[in-house]
Amino acid sequence: MLAGLDVRPVEVQADRANGTPKFLLVGLAATSVKEARERVRSAIKNSGLEFPPQRLTVNLAPAEMRKQGSALDLPIAVAIALAGARKKAPPGTAFIGELALDGAVRHVDGVLVAALGLRKLGFERIYVPAADAAEAALVDGLTVIPCASLKAVVDHLVGTELIEPHVNGGSRPKAETGALEHDLAEVHGQEEARRALEVAAAGGHHILFSGPPGAGKTMLARCLPGILPPLELAEALEVAQVRSLLGDIAANRPLDGTRPFRAPHQGVSTAGLIGGGSGFAMPGEISRAHHGVLFLDELAEFQSPALQALRQPLETGRITITRSAGSVLYPARFTLVAATNPCPCGWAGDSVRSCRCAPAAIDSYHRRLSGPLLDRIDLKVGVRRVKLETLANEPTGEGSAAVRERVVEARRRQLDRQGCLNAQLKPARLRQLAGLEPASRRTLERWADQRGLSARGFHRAWRVARTSADLDGAEQIGERHILEALGYRLQDVAA
Amino acid sequence: MPAPAVKTTDDLPDLRTRGRWPPPEGPRVAIVGSRLPSPYGEAVAEQLGADLARAGVTVISGLALGIDAAAHRGALVGGWVTVAVMGTGVDVVYPAAHTKLAEDILAAGGALVSQFPDGTAPRRHNFPARNWTMAALSDVVVVVEAAERSGALITAEAALDLHKEVMAVPGSVFSPLSVGTHQLIRDGAGLVQNARDVLAALGLVNEVLDDPLSPPKGLGVTLSPGRDGILSHLSDVLALSAADIARKLQLPVAEVLGRLTALELDGAVRRHHDGYVRALHGGRKRA
Repeated sequence: MLAGLDVRPVEVQADRANGTPKFLLVGLAATSVKEARERVRSAIKNSGLEFPPQRLTVNLAPAEMRKQGSALDLPIAVAIALAGARKKAPPGTAFIGELALDGAVRHVDGVLVAALGLRKLGFERIYVPAADAAEAALVDGLTVIPCASLKAVVDHLVGTELIEPHVNGGSRPKAETGALEHDLAEVHGQEEARRALEVAAAGGHHILFSGPPGAGKTMLARCLPGILPPLELAEALEVAQVRSLLGDIAANRPLDGTRPFRAPHQGVSTAGLIGGGSGFAMPGEISRAHHGVLFLDELAEFQSPALQALRQPLETGRITITRSAGSVLYPARFTLVAATNPCPCGWAGDSVRSCRCAPAAIDSYHRRLSGPLLDRIDLKVGVRRVKLETLANEPTGEGSAAVRERVVEARRRQLDRQGCLNAQLKPARLRQLAGLEPASRRTLERWADQRGLSARGFHRAWRVARTSADLDGAEQIGERHILEALGYRLQDVAA
Repeated sequence: MPAPAVKTTDDLPDLRTRGRWPPPEGPRVAIVGSRLPSPYGEAVAEQLGADLARAGVTVISGLALGIDAAAHRGALVGGWVTVAVMGTGVDVVYPAAHTKLAEDILAAGGALVSQFPDGTAPRRHNFPARNWTMAALSDVVVVVEAAERSGALITAEAALDLHKEVMAVPGSVFSPLSVGTHQLIRDGAGLVQNARDVLAALGLVNEVLDDPLSPPKGLGVTLSPGRDGILSHLSDVLALSAADIARKLQLPVAEVLGRLTALELDGAVRRHHDGYVRALHGGRKRA
């Protein structure tokens, strides 16, 4: 059974005794598990195996744990079949799979998570649906037996016909090697936003674009995954785990090195965004964006509770969700890219169209944006609309590949120095690791004094300056790095 | 638009005041306009405020964002008192970002006045009444940049009802912020090209010169030589983004952004919602 990313093994015991033919299933099974009785009975019969005409008791241990889902079909059927053959399943072996009435073994969600957990618990061999074998085989040191049908599994167990263990060919993660779907080379102008994007990628900083409709905010956001380095093996495995729980792993490419990019709609519920559901919570968009990019377009249009719920993950890179069955912890270390219009109608400050918003409306729009969430966004950049007629004349900048090289180098410097990205540095470590030259410190303090910068704002500028220095390959944070960092803010939004 | 209940200057509502009230005898001019002005409008309002204050005119405005704030700032630079007519209680500074400006107004011998009881929060329906009061308190109302349906036009209308002079500053024909002011001029509002036009309307000077607003004196800011390179590429009315400047100078945008921030720290440039402009009163320390 899965509880979020936790794995709790269930022991399935089958006992046949003389008495009225009856099939009892005990051990706190939820309705979805009780239905297994009918599937298992049909599957066994239709596989040409004998369904014992006896009093049959199947116990799911430990009995105090509530069991859900259809993944117990296969172990229940195997237990019954082996009981008929007076055999026991070999030790250190686990079975996962749903049964069709004809005995075929069907896909279940979360096989990778289960395989990883079982390996940790000391299991050596795992029987999984054939469709999920590639997923399970990502786990090192675990023998994966792909199961096409119940008959094949039983034949394998009694030794009449063996199934070859599944081995993935070249299990290293591969990022999409072809041309990027969104390349910075296609962005005309917008040098300021491009630079900010590079800084965000290099330091793991969250970023907010503000500008009128059609300014290219979405395009810029979509370019971010392309300038991030491909996922490391461990990272890709974490991403795959979340996908596995949601049944979203491609069988032909179980381990994907491409950075996730998630762009939930403004109407998304809190549960949809951070995770939720009955029983144990399922991962939400923020966990699907783990190690990748979470893009929130029209930030002010999102429900306030959903945005407030982002605060914990933005701070810690994890989310704890408590539901009736218990608490689960999901990873959610994403880079937030938010976009907003300057006002509800979107045209405030535009050079051609005039804004039609009432002042109170603009105010409440900004109020929805301000506060704790904005306080956690390091880079705030205004994006201007490029006139259509001049679009073609605007210079296009470097492509994503060239930018990515600098980003990779800057990230390497950070990881060598401190083991994490600059955005994740706590103030204490920041002081210790990112020393400021006297002139830089004076500039930062002067600014803080003049603009009433909060302590958080002070550290935010400091972190961004560290990233700017890393992109420069500089050991010390120079004044120009501080000044650049202070430049990434919006006039309307207090730093 | 709800019609104000009162129609003549005699029916001026009771005012709650902070600071020196009434202001010293002398002409009073209201400068009103868009809350989201272009750098041009802001520059004009600030310059007019300063020049009128130098001529001993009490500048009245509404303490709002944009033109209002620029007019108050200009008046403070000009060294005469300025009065903020508020749409909230006199103890509720709105927007909160103008707390410092309100303090400066009081410190310079000006006043904050309001017809609303203390503690009144900003309410949309209170502002038209405030605009009427502003017109009632002034001898002339000057509109600088007002889009169609701008609140500044309510002030202008109230001024007409009260038989006060309405004047308007023309803007770019490309800008949506000129629609309201150009309508006023077409309907007979006085044309304002400089403070002398306003002083003439007040009967303080007789000759009206068609000379443009004299370029502000503070422009030749003295800065370390390494920095004015960028400054000379900035306009005082047209906002340029860091990217625009970087492209012109063939410099990396990160460097330009940093240098602009340094200039901003020195008070030599000001950041606008659309980019950077040269600050009119460069080098002056502003909060």
